[in-house]
Amino acid sequence: MSLQEALPDSALHSTASSVPIEHRFNPYSDNGGTILGIAGKDFAVLAGDTRNTTGYSINSRYEPKVFHVGDNVVVSANGFAADGNVLVKRLGQQIQWYHYNHNKELKLSSCARLVQHMLYGKRFFPYYVHTILAGLDEDGKGAIYSFDPVGSYEREQCRAGGAAASLIMPFLDNQVNFKNQMDPATNGTEPHPITYLSLEEVLQLVKDAFSSATERHIQVGDGLEILIVTKDGVRTEYSPLKRD
Amino acid sequence: MEQRPVNWGRPRDDIYGAYDHNIHNAAKMPTVHTQQPIVTGTSVIAVKFDKGVMMAADNLASYGSLARFTDQERLIPVGKDTVVGVSGDISDLQYVERLLEQLEIEENYDNDGHELKSSNIFEYLSRVFYQRRSKMDPLWNAVIVAGVEDGKPFLSYVDLLGVTYSSPTLATGFGAYLAVPLLRQVVDKEGDEDNLTEEDARKLIDKCMKVLFYRDARSIDKYSVATITSEGAKLEKNVKCVEMNWRFAEDIKGYGRTVA
Amino acid sequence: MFLTRSEYDRGVNTFSPEGRLFQVEYSLEAIKLGSTAIGVQTSEGVILGVEKRVTSSLLEASSIEKIIEIDRHVGCAMSGLTADARTMIDHARVESVNHDLYFDEPIKVESVTQAVCDLALRFGEGASGEKRIMSRPFGVALLIAGIDENGPQLYHAEPSGTFYRYDAKAIGSGSEGAQAELQNEYHKSLTLKEAELLVLKTLKQVMEEKLDSKNVQLASVTADKGFRIFSEDEMKVLVDDLEASMVDEEMELQQ
Repeated sequence: MSLQEALPDSALHSTASSVPIEHRFNPYSDNGGTILGIAGKDFAVLAGDTRNTTGYSINSRYEPKVFHVGDNVVVSANGFAADGNVLVKRLGQQIQWYHYNHNKELKLSSCARLVQHMLYGKRFFPYYVHTILAGLDEDGKGAIYSFDPVGSYEREQCRAGGAAASLIMPFLDNQVNFKNQMDPATNGTEPHPITYLSLEEVLQLVKDAFSSATERHIQVGDGLEILIVTKDGVRTEYSPLKRD
Repeated sequence: MEQRPVNWGRPRDDIYGAYDHNIHNAAKMPTVHTQQPIVTGTSVIAVKFDKGVMMAADNLASYGSLARFTDQERLIPVGKDTVVGVSGDISDLQYVERLLEQLEIEENYDNDGHELKSSNIFEYLSRVFYQRRSKMDPLWNAVIVAGVEDGKPFLSYVDLLGVTYSSPTLATGFGAYLAVPLLRQVVDKEGDEDNLTEEDARKLIDKCMKVLFYRDARSIDKYSVATITSEGAKLEKNVKCVEMNWRFAEDIKGYGRTVA
Repeated sequence: MFLTRSEYDRGVNTFSPEGRLFQVEYSLEAIKLGSTAIGVQTSEGVILGVEKRVTSSLLEASSIEKIIEIDRHVGCAMSGLTADARTMIDHARVESVNHDLYFDEPIKVESVTQAVCDLALRFGEGASGEKRIMSRPFGVALLIAGIDENGPQLYHAEPSGTFYRYDAKAIGSGSEGAQAELQNEYHKSLTLKEAELLVLKTLKQVMEEKLDSKNVQLASVTADKGFRIFSEDEMKVLVDDLEASMVDEEMELQQ
């Protein structure tokens, strides 16, 4: 007869700590916020709200999380802010080293591969972030690369990441990629063709996405910072969001 | 029969198995990591004003619910124009204090008059905190670095996870819930600090420290206030909460001094 | 002379009073004993050529490998202690493959050369605490040919850890004569075909043995085909072409 069978039920399920409660330091936290990247014909934008949170507290109303790391590459790593900042800082240093070693600009596709290795390098103690890279490809076309926390990546036309990704992504599917829509011109017999959006359209889309996410998600708000990449360089636009 | 004298008296390998050399080679002590804070300090609060930054922390070091040490200084001046305010584990505070002292000493070896800026000290601390959390051996603190750099106020936060942020108002621990709303009534967004004088900031700090003493059970009514302007850092010690009203305590029933 | 040298020519870590590192200089001597290798860069691509010393009729000529691939777009020719080149080429290959892995692009020819030269210096300790991993400098020089976004390029990497880019370069025992010949014959508008013949002709001039399709080897690096070692059949055709052009030249001279 095993020990468990021998003991009365009450002895096993007693309120006294029959099993010690494991207390372990948790090296991660969630700092909220959300990011969004959209690629256009000859430009790309990467936007993020400027609110930083832990739990129900707003730590800061203006803590930027989208950065220009050199060579016309902008990046944001959203999730656990400490990991995100370290990843971005290390990427900037890696780009510098690439310049010293190879004496040329780092291509966006090369930068994406580099980020994959930086993320996968910590496969067993991951950077707890959703990473998005934006810039121009070798042909001057806008490009977005998105990554999971351990480095899987793909090039996309648009991608939302972070706290309100699940709110924004379906909106993007509808407004950028025209998913599940038919072309009115063909009387609804052909799928809606995918066309490039203009920068004005994209910026309006980004602002709508963020004001909507602010309305429905408590970790999103305060301010919106949009980094715009064109062949002339990187430019930043700020606009306020609701602070409640 | 075992012939070698070193093995005399050992149980026979053929019967009891070979000696497990891991026992001999084991480290003397297990590696120990901080799993929880022991003696702790509560909130640190800070706010920017037109000409600098003001920061305060009370003088209590608690051992659980026991008010263990009542004259613990938690504001550490570093260089001429930076003050580091520390909450959380006091032994880790003292370790951080030594790190910062060492940093300052090494900076002064050159004797070139160059001083570490607030942002340099903050960057250093945030690296230390992130590295320690990555070793799963955190320094159990939340720290606010306050200072003046190139004539502009500097205010940033870093904690045991290596999480960092900056804001015109900052507070650790309970202060984040009790003091920040009061501070943000006055300084809400970047730039609002330009309309706050040193005098008003000082009153605001006193108000916040009073509220914290009212509501935070791990606080004490004695605190230090650091004021950093381009003239340097000034540390006021042994400031007391004044004009308090504890009349309401008389009416509290059910626990404490009136049971019925 | 030899007496003064002997005091300073043992250690690779000791300068002579005149400021020379004899072991490094001796390593350059080792290359001068090696078989001749030539590289010529054109706008269409780079041609590498080596002399193979077939010292015995019983020796299988195809087992002498003096031109080797580093990556699809980079190759090299060697002269000197060819066994040493294995270490360098291994290093270059690893560096090249890693670059592709980490950056999703082929490595630049200059970067490959730099990597090889970094290794060449490891007979001493590195500035940032790297351990010395070799007892002596390499005894081999490489002609590294490749193509990248900057077009076709030819580099010469020495055991001293220095490298230079060349339009045309000869190394090894016949290098003096060959380099003079290249100097005379080279011009910027050389076609790849002309470069092949120039390399072959130059080799023929400096080789002790009579040149045939077995004792020379050629390789090319071009944009569309990358690095490619010429097959035995191709070599035969080329050697025949060379002889034909030589006959033509003689005819011209006679007239």
